[in-house]
Amino acid sequence: MMRKVLILVLLAVLVFGCAQEEKKPEATPTPKPAATETPKPTPTPEKTATPPPFGGKKEVVIGVIGPMALPEGTAEKNAAMLAAKEINAQGGILGLKVRVVVGDTKLKPDEATKEFRRLATEEKADMITGGFSSGIMSAMMEVMAETKTVFLADASSPAHPAMVAKEYDKYKYWFRISQNNGSTFAWDLAEMIDYLRDQGVTVNKVYIIRDEHVWTDAVMKGLTPLLEERNIEIVGDEKVPRGYTEYEQLLLDAQDKGADLIMPILAIAGTGDVLAKQWAELQIPALLAGHDLAAIDAGFYEKTGGAANYYIFLADGGVLVTAPPTEMAAKFVEAYKKEYGHYPESHQAYGAYDAVYIYKMAVEAAYKAGEKNPFDPDVVVKYLEKYKPGNPAKLTRNVAFHKNHALVWGDDYVRNWIAQWQDGKQYIIYPSTVANGQLKLPPWI
Amino acid sequence: MIDIAVRIIVYGAVVGGIWALVASGFSLIFGVARILNFAHGIFFILAAYLGIVLAKSGVNPYLATLISILFVGGFAVAIYTGLLARIKEHEVMVIIVTLAIALLVEQILIIIFGEHGISYPALISGVLRIGKTPITYKRILAFVVAVVVLALLELFIHKTRTGKMIMASSQNYEGALLVGINVDRIFIITMFLSAVLAGIGGVLYTQVFAASPAASLKALIFAFAIVILGGLGSIKGSIVAAFIIGYIITITNQFLGAQWAEFAALLVIIAILVFKPTGLFGVEE
Amino acid sequence: MRAEMLKTDFKKLILGIVFLVVFAAAPAFLPEAYVYLVGMMFLFLILVISWDVIVGYTGQVNLGHTVFVGLGAYTAALMQVPSRFEGSVDFLAGMPQAPIPVSILAGGIVAGFFGLAIGIITLRLKGFYFSLVTAILPLVFLKSVFVFSDIFGGEEGFSIGLERSLAGDVTLRYYYAFVIFLISFVIIYFIVNSRIGLRFRAVRDDEDLAESIGVNVVRYKILSFVISSFFAGIGGAAIVHYRITIGPDLYDIPLMLLIILSAVIGGLGTLYGPLFGGIVIYLMKSWWLRSLLPSIPEWLPINDDVILYAILIAVGVLAPEGIWGRVREMLRERAEAESPQST
Repeated sequence: MMRKVLILVLLAVLVFGCAQEEKKPEATPTPKPAATETPKPTPTPEKTATPPPFGGKKEVVIGVIGPMALPEGTAEKNAAMLAAKEINAQGGILGLKVRVVVGDTKLKPDEATKEFRRLATEEKADMITGGFSSGIMSAMMEVMAETKTVFLADASSPAHPAMVAKEYDKYKYWFRISQNNGSTFAWDLAEMIDYLRDQGVTVNKVYIIRDEHVWTDAVMKGLTPLLEERNIEIVGDEKVPRGYTEYEQLLLDAQDKGADLIMPILAIAGTGDVLAKQWAELQIPALLAGHDLAAIDAGFYEKTGGAANYYIFLADGGVLVTAPPTEMAAKFVEAYKKEYGHYPESHQAYGAYDAVYIYKMAVEAAYKAGEKNPFDPDVVVKYLEKYKPGNPAKLTRNVAFHKNHALVWGDDYVRNWIAQWQDGKQYIIYPSTVANGQLKLPPWI
Repeated sequence: MIDIAVRIIVYGAVVGGIWALVASGFSLIFGVARILNFAHGIFFILAAYLGIVLAKSGVNPYLATLISILFVGGFAVAIYTGLLARIKEHEVMVIIVTLAIALLVEQILIIIFGEHGISYPALISGVLRIGKTPITYKRILAFVVAVVVLALLELFIHKTRTGKMIMASSQNYEGALLVGINVDRIFIITMFLSAVLAGIGGVLYTQVFAASPAASLKALIFAFAIVILGGLGSIKGSIVAAFIIGYIITITNQFLGAQWAEFAALLVIIAILVFKPTGLFGVEE
Repeated sequence: MRAEMLKTDFKKLILGIVFLVVFAAAPAFLPEAYVYLVGMMFLFLILVISWDVIVGYTGQVNLGHTVFVGLGAYTAALMQVPSRFEGSVDFLAGMPQAPIPVSILAGGIVAGFFGLAIGIITLRLKGFYFSLVTAILPLVFLKSVFVFSDIFGGEEGFSIGLERSLAGDVTLRYYYAFVIFLISFVIIYFIVNSRIGLRFRAVRDDEDLAESIGVNVVRYKILSFVISSFFAGIGGAAIVHYRITIGPDLYDIPLMLLIILSAVIGGLGTLYGPLFGGIVIYLMKSWWLRSLLPSIPEWLPINDDVILYAILIAVGVLAPEGIWGRVREMLRERAEAESPQST
C-alpha cells in the first residue's frame, strides 16, 4: 500500500521534475566569426554596446516546422540554420543571438500541431517558419492563433489567406512566404500552355495527374475555366496518394484518350521521378509539362537516371539554382552548397531563408521606430505588413505581402517561372525577360 | 477496348506474379510454424533498399540483388530465433510483436532514406509492344522470375527431403516430432525461405515501381488478402489467389483509382474472415 | 473478511485522493506546454482503460480498438463541420453545428453502435480469429479516410476551429479533460465491479464454466465490447475537441500499439495497472523521449517511435503478462516470504 502511494508520488515528482528542468539549447548554429562572404541584405543592425533588455530577453528563437523525412522539411531546416548562422556572425538580431529549434510534422496533423505547440510554448519561439502541406497548415494555424506566434509559412491553399482576411485579429500572425497562392499556379499553368502553343506545339487535350490533397483543388478550381477559355479539353483528372508509383496505367490511359499534354500537379506525392521514368521509358507521345515540386530539386535529373530530360515544370517559389533572380539568391545557393554539399533540395529553402531575414528586418525596423518591445508578435506583424506591393523586401526574391498576407505574384515579385530539364540542367524558358534557355521537344513526339 | 483488356491481362499477370511470391512466403511460415508474421512486408522492402544501396555503392546490380535477398533471409532467421521462437505459443503476442517490428523497421527506413520512394537500379531496360500496349522488359522480367521461382518452390517442397519434411511439419506438428524431424530446424529453414520469397518479390516490385517505406505495409496487406483468399498455409491456393488479387488491383487502379486497390483487398480479407472463418485455416479451433 | 475489504477500499481511497490532488493541482505548477500534454494524457487514459474492459476483464483480445477511437473522433469532427458532406451526403450537410457535449456523446454512441454491429459479427469467432479480424479492421477504416477524402479529409485531416475546442484557455481545457476522464473512469469502475463485471470475468476465466452456470457468454462479450467501444468513442471525440484537429492517426496502428503497450506494461484486468502504464507511456512518448532525443547522435536512426516499438517488443517477448503485474507479484512474494504466518 505504502509502496503504491510512494510510486504515485514518485511519478508526480518525475512529472514536475521534468517540467522544471531547464531546456538545453539544441542545435544552436555556432557562429563562426570570420564569415567573409555573408550577404548583408539589411541595414546594419544597431550596434549597441549592451543589448537592450526587451523584458530580459536573452535570445531570439526561430522555430522551423516541417516534414523532416522529406526534402521540403530538411531544406527549410538547413536554410533557416544557415540564415541564423550568418546573422549570428554579424551580431544577431538587436544584439541577441538567434537560436534555431526544429519541429517535425511527420506530415500528420496531430504531430504537426503538437510540435507547433512545443516550439511556441516550450521553446518559446519568437517566429516559426515552414509547414509543408495545406491541410496540415490549416491545423497548425489554430495553434498559431492560440499561442499568438508569428508564422512565416509554406503551403499554397488560398484558404489560408482567406482565413486572415475573414478573422484578421485571430490569424494576422500568419504570412505566406514560400510561394504564391495555389490559384496563381493556375495562371502559370495556363501561361505555360500559351507559351507551348506559341512555340508551335499542339495542345488540345490535357490529362491531369495530381495530388489528392486539398491544395490541388484550389489549383483545379482556377485552372478549369482557364482551359475552357482556350478550348482545351481535360480528358483525364486523376488523383494520386502520397508515394504513388503506378503511373504506367495512367500514362497509357492518357495515351488512349489522345492527350497531347500530360500535366502533373504534384507536390506531396513526391514520386515525380517515377512518373518521369515511366513516361520516358514508355515513350508516351504527349508532353510532360506541369507543376511538380520534385522536379525543382537540382538532383532530380540524376535521380531519374536522365529520364527527366524534356520535363517541363514550374520553378515554384521563384528561384531556380541556374537562374537566381536576385543577388542574394545567387549568394545563398552557393553558400548553401558550401555548407551542405549540395544545392537546396527543395524550393522551400528560399522561403525559410527569407523568413529569418525578413523577421530580422521587421524587428529592427520596429526597434528603430521606437517600439517598446519590438519582439511583441503584434508589433512584428505591423512591421511585416509594411512590405507590400510597391515596397518589397529584397531577399532571395522580392517579397511583399497582400492585405490577406498572401505573397504578391508577378514578374517583379515572386512567380513560378516556366522551366525545363535539358541534358542534366534546368533552364528557365519563359518569360523571355528571365529565360536562359529555349524549349526542346522530346524526339519521340 | 481490346487494348485495355490486353493491358489489364498483361499488367495484372505481372502484379499477380510478384504478389504470389510475397504471399507464398507469408503462407509458408504460417502453414509450418503457425506464425502470422505481420512483419512480412519488411523483408519485401528491406531487400529492395539493401539492393539499391549496394548497387549505388558500385556493386554489380545482379550480385547486389543476390546479397540483399540472402541478407533478408538471415535477418528473418535472426528475428525468429531471437524473438518469435520464444512467444510462438502465444499467438496474439506474435501479432503484436511482429506489428511492432514492422513499424520499427519502417521508422528506421524513414529516418535513413526519407519517405519519398527511390527506384531500384535497372537490371534490364527496353520496351516490347503488343498492339498499342507497351510492356517494359522490367515487367516481363518480373513475371518470368516470379513464375520460375514459384515453380522451383513447388519442386523443392515436393521433391527434396527437406521440402517433404517442411510439408510434413505443416500438416502434422506432433507427427513430425514423433518421426524424429528436427522441427526447430525446419522452422528456421522455412523462415529463411519465407523471407527470401518476399525479398525477391520486393526487388522485382521496386524494379517496376519504386521502393518506399510505406510499401512494406502495402505488401503486407496484399499478401494477407491473397493468403486469406487462397487459404492460409496452402501455397497453391496462394498462387491462384495472387493472380485474382493482382487482377483486382489492376482493375481497381484502372477504373477507380489507386486508393481503392488496398481498400478492396482489405474488404476481401474481412469478408472472408467473417463469413468463412473456420476451415480456411485447415484446422478447427 | 469484511474488515479486509474495508481495508482495501481504504487503500484505494487514499490512492485515489493522492491521484486527484496531484493532478488537480498540476496546472498551478506546470508550464502551459505541459499542462496541455497532461490534459491530452487523460484522454489517452480513457482509451487505455476502455480497452481493458474488453481485453483485461472479458478476455477478448481486441486489436482494433482504434477503430472506435477514430469513429468517435470523426463523428464529433463532422458534427462540427457538417459542410464536409456537401456534394456527397447532402442531407447531412445542412446539420446544425452540435453543442460540444452532444458531439462528444454522439461520438461515443456511434462508436458503440459500430461496436455492437462488429461485435455481433466477430465475437462469434473465438480467441485468435477475433484478434486477427480486429487487427485488420483499423486498416479498413484508415483506408476509408483516404478513399472518401472529400468527407474525411484524407491524410491531412481537417480542423474544427479553435471556437469548438473544449475551452479556449489551456488550463480550463485541462480541467475539462480531467473531468471527462474522471467520469469515464468512475462509470467503468462501477461497471467492472458490478454483477455485470463479475460475469465478464467469468467469461474470461472459463467460457464453458460461465455457460454452465447460466451466463450467456456471447451476449456478455458483446455487451463488454459495446461498453469498451463506447468509451473509446468518447475518448476519440474528446480528443478532437481538445486538440481541434482530426486526422487518420486516430485510426492508425501506432496508436493501437501505444494503447497495448500501456496496458501490457501496467498489467491487464485491474484498471489501475493500465492507468499507471498509460501515464508512464504517454508522458514518456510526448515528453521525456522528446527531451531525450536531441542528445542522441544524429547518425543513429532512432526517434521516439523507434524507442517505443523497441520497448514494446522487449516487453512482449520478456514479460508478456505485464511489467507492473510482475513487479506486484514479486512484491507480494517478498511480503509473503517476510511474514510466512499471515496467509
